[in-house]
Amino acid sequence: MAIVDELAALQAETLAAIEAAADTAALDEVRVRTVGKSGTLTAYLRNMGSVPADQKAVVGKAVNAARNAVEEALEARKTALAAAELEASIDAAAVDVTLPGRSQRLGTRHLINRVTEEICDVFLGLGYTVADGPEVETDYYNFTALNAPADHPSRSLQDTFYVVDRSGEAASVRGESDVLLRTQTSGVQVHAMEDQQLPIYIVAPGKVYRRDIADPSHLPQFTQIEGLVVDKGITFGDLKGTLDYLCKAVFGPDRRTRFRAHYFPFTEPSAEVDVSCAVCGGEGCRMCKGTGWLELLGCGMVDPNVLQMSGIDPEEYSGFAFGMGVERAACLKYNVPDLRLLLQGDMRFLRQF
Amino acid sequence: MKVSLKWLSEYVDVPDDLKAFCDRLDLTGTGVEGVETLGAAFQNVVTAQVVGKERHPDSDHMWVCQVDVGPWNTDDDGNPAPLQIVCGAQNFQAGDHIVTALVGAELPGDIKIKKSKLRGVASCGMNCSERELGLGDSHEGIMILPEDAPVGVPFAEYRGLSDTVLDLEITPNRPDCLSMVGMAREVGAMYREDVTLPLFELEEARNKPDAHELVTVQIDDPVRCPRYTARVIKNVKVGPSPAWLAERVTAAGARSISNVVDVTNYILFLYGQPLHAFDYDKLESPDGKVHVIVRAAEEGEKLTTLDGEERALTPDMTVIATPERAVALAGVMGGLETEITDGSTTVLLEAATFEPGRTSRTSRNLGLISESSMRYERRVDDHPIAAYADAAAALLAEVSGGVVCPGLVDEYPLPTPSRELRFRIPRFCAMMGIDIPRADIVDILERLDCQVVAPAHAEALEVVPPTDRPDLEREIDLYEEVLRLWGMDQVPPTLPASPQRVGVLTDAQKLERIVNRAMTAAGLNETTTYSFAAPDELQKLRMAPEGLGEAVELINPMSTEQSVMRQSLIPGLLRSVAYNQAHGVKNVQLYETGVVFAAREGAKQPKERRKLAAVMAGAMDEPSWNSPAVPFDFFDAKGAVESLARELAIPKLRFKALDAQEAPHLQPGRAAQVLSGGSVLGWVGEIHPLAAQAYEAEAPIAAFELDLEALGRASRPARDYRDVPQFPAVTADIAFVVDEDVTNERLMQCMASAGGKLLDEVRLFDVYRDDERVGVGKKSMAYALEFRAPDRTLTSQEVEKAQEKLVKKVCGATGAEVRA
Repeated sequence: MAIVDELAALQAETLAAIEAAADTAALDEVRVRTVGKSGTLTAYLRNMGSVPADQKAVVGKAVNAARNAVEEALEARKTALAAAELEASIDAAAVDVTLPGRSQRLGTRHLINRVTEEICDVFLGLGYTVADGPEVETDYYNFTALNAPADHPSRSLQDTFYVVDRSGEAASVRGESDVLLRTQTSGVQVHAMEDQQLPIYIVAPGKVYRRDIADPSHLPQFTQIEGLVVDKGITFGDLKGTLDYLCKAVFGPDRRTRFRAHYFPFTEPSAEVDVSCAVCGGEGCRMCKGTGWLELLGCGMVDPNVLQMSGIDPEEYSGFAFGMGVERAACLKYNVPDLRLLLQGDMRFLRQF
Repeated sequence: MKVSLKWLSEYVDVPDDLKAFCDRLDLTGTGVEGVETLGAAFQNVVTAQVVGKERHPDSDHMWVCQVDVGPWNTDDDGNPAPLQIVCGAQNFQAGDHIVTALVGAELPGDIKIKKSKLRGVASCGMNCSERELGLGDSHEGIMILPEDAPVGVPFAEYRGLSDTVLDLEITPNRPDCLSMVGMAREVGAMYREDVTLPLFELEEARNKPDAHELVTVQIDDPVRCPRYTARVIKNVKVGPSPAWLAERVTAAGARSISNVVDVTNYILFLYGQPLHAFDYDKLESPDGKVHVIVRAAEEGEKLTTLDGEERALTPDMTVIATPERAVALAGVMGGLETEITDGSTTVLLEAATFEPGRTSRTSRNLGLISESSMRYERRVDDHPIAAYADAAAALLAEVSGGVVCPGLVDEYPLPTPSRELRFRIPRFCAMMGIDIPRADIVDILERLDCQVVAPAHAEALEVVPPTDRPDLEREIDLYEEVLRLWGMDQVPPTLPASPQRVGVLTDAQKLERIVNRAMTAAGLNETTTYSFAAPDELQKLRMAPEGLGEAVELINPMSTEQSVMRQSLIPGLLRSVAYNQAHGVKNVQLYETGVVFAAREGAKQPKERRKLAAVMAGAMDEPSWNSPAVPFDFFDAKGAVESLARELAIPKLRFKALDAQEAPHLQPGRAAQVLSGGSVLGWVGEIHPLAAQAYEAEAPIAAFELDLEALGRASRPARDYRDVPQFPAVTADIAFVVDEDVTNERLMQCMASAGGKLLDEVRLFDVYRDDERVGVGKKSMAYALEFRAPDRTLTSQEVEKAQEKLVKKVCGATGAEVRA
């Protein structure tokens, strides 16, 4: 049989084999068998030297044509098979997308510290710095420098934790000790007024202690944030605007505030601030005991005595101060029914925030 | 302070809209804590007339009455007919006008009137005594009304008892508001309404001896008692108060006791002036006179107060005494022995003022808080005492049939001077942030009873505040008055205009924020525990006290368990672990940042250190379909510390094994000190099983406690940039068989020093022990090595050479053998 005929037969056979290959592996086998290094079609190419000269042109052309046809067919079949195989593997890899994902479980912040940080961030944005101070304070910084009368009931052993004084100095106030667990973070403000350059724009968050038995609405240890501004030209309107901004930032833009005149030794004039009730929107409901308002914090213009005690001229400077219980703010925001949850470390509680 | 609106409206117009009125009180500084509607208690209680009275067939002392209740008359079929009521009282006759509680009434003491049968006879209501109505103590029989009393009218309406009583929170700076006239003035100022004050006309009996002949008053210390007055009222008949007086004192929250006591309470509520009525005869000295001495109590002196308690006194307390003995505790409570009794005929009426601070201490130390002490401790104005004493005497005479002896004994050694204050209007407006009209300022101050001198066009007003306002001492105090009454709500909100401020966190605060991020990213949950601890806490935890200082002791702790300040955060966290485990929560991952305290000898305040601590018990999660639950151990705690160190860019982080002596609270062999180079940052380890047990927590518990300041000092503000590799690395795995006591750290050090610059990374990927294949007491440590040069692709010869050197060094230094 002439070489050309042999080639035609081989080509036909190979094309049929390609068409019949069921998967890419079988196809590859066909490729190796025909156009591989020692493939049948390759052999013809290699043997071109032994083809008589007069047939060289014809045979060469036929070999190349066969080879091109085979390679084209291989490529086409390969593409088709690959697509089918990919599709099959994709089908096989489908998962139940409702199965839980795989993740590193993130921890959580404590509710009170989260709220504290949120409030501090509001004030950072307003250009305040965050100040802190010791939890064991002297009577002077906790009470006296804040204009609290010597006989004020809050200074009693009933209400304030006193600490053994190791200085060897005689106690000047109660007969027991001038050292106590701070009942408010106001001492930080006094230190700031004594030590810092004016103007002062600070918030002081921190733990405070009062002798209350732990129950759903009291803790002997809780968290306060106080703020202090001392500058030239500070007005009561500035106090209102600042706290109004705070309430909206923490509780939501549709909440309103109202200022009720009140009395604190540290400030004059003094006010308590209520935020409108979220449950009824101010209409009055059980949450707010029908008033439409929830008590949030105390504030006022810094009493001139307090400024003077810290060496600031009240004729030149004025200021405002406020103090809020973070637990109270958090409870208003999250409706936590029992404050003791905050100190138990119950994972089922902590994990919620 | 309870304020009857009916009473208040005698002196000032009270708005009809109760809600708006309460809101306005709230906003101007008088908190409304409660609103009580009187007369509501008398719902279904009506005036009635007995129209029939027959003996109960089965009782000697009960009566079956037919009672006409007007519009409420009804029989079982709903037809109008007098009610049949069985009554046990004996003091009434057919035809008497009485008070009847209908079915459905609720009387004081939670008595609900229902239709009932008494010994077989139906009874459709109850005829009431005064006590049953809560109006007095009389329980002799049912209440008999005058003959002209209408029949079938709601009792509250008949008696004019419909009233609203507000319970007001009076701030400690406002003693004036602890009185009806003070509240009237406050309301007048709130609404710019005029106030009418009550008038009493005193008639002195010319035929009686002058009070000065009967009483002398001696004040030992004017500071304790700036003023003491006495009046004498004779021929007093002690008895029940007239109805109006009883109602007034009841509405104000007191009990109606007798005409004499009620008058003293009435004047107290009306003016805020406490009074005390003594039985004159019981004070009399042998010379026939009463010698009142106001003096310090003697140490241990005894006095039985009105409540029947014998009190031991101290010299800090002030007593009212006769030359013989103490008879009253000044400003707080009278003595039992000299009190008014039914047989008293001559009253010595004390109206005085006492030192506020001392009164406060006395009442607190004795646990005796009275209406009087509450007012004295806030300061009672000395100026109007004479007028109030006269008013009280006039009223007492009126309601007791007594006569007032001429003269007021008035010892007044220390009058409080009045003040003159300046009110600079421009400064006020500038400080409030709004222009309040001058006329409004003047009007508000005048309505508060200030004398205002307002020179035309002058910027400053001259203001003399009333003497019963001890809180108005300074210009700023007047600002507050004007602002609150003019309306805080009218001040527009602004923000401070200062250009000179920036909000930044300190380094310590930034550090804590990074700590919180790293801890939560490590799966730890922040908590807060008590700062208190028990005195033996460190022993219980087995923690070595070295370096923790001495505990800070509380003078007045709530309990022994919480009597010192904590020296470690771990006990609190272990308690939380135990709490969770006891509640079925086995997987616990907690951390806390907080202060620990160390007392310093010679210093007032202790050293406070901020710490970070964590505990991990159980596993991170319950087993899941695609991830098993891996129980926590030492390496989970260590891993969290390592992550934190990376976040804080802490260089040369090291872990050094701690032995049982160094860290007795940790399980030996699973305990390490955390260091950055040579500085100690804290410790990490598994809590000793015995320590866990002491806290009723289940081991194993992995934990660490680090010093935040030390972390801050060790941390670097930024990490250095390293070129991203341009050339490929050559990797090789190698396993060393070493003795058990050769540490990973040691092997790493050897490899690092021998590998030189070309050794880019070493990663331990397997630790393998097998007595047969590896050998007893040996372990195989397999490392993946990565060699790389920054400037070229390494040749295989270079890598081989480096690796050979590394192996030689490791084997030489540690006795390791390369595992084939």
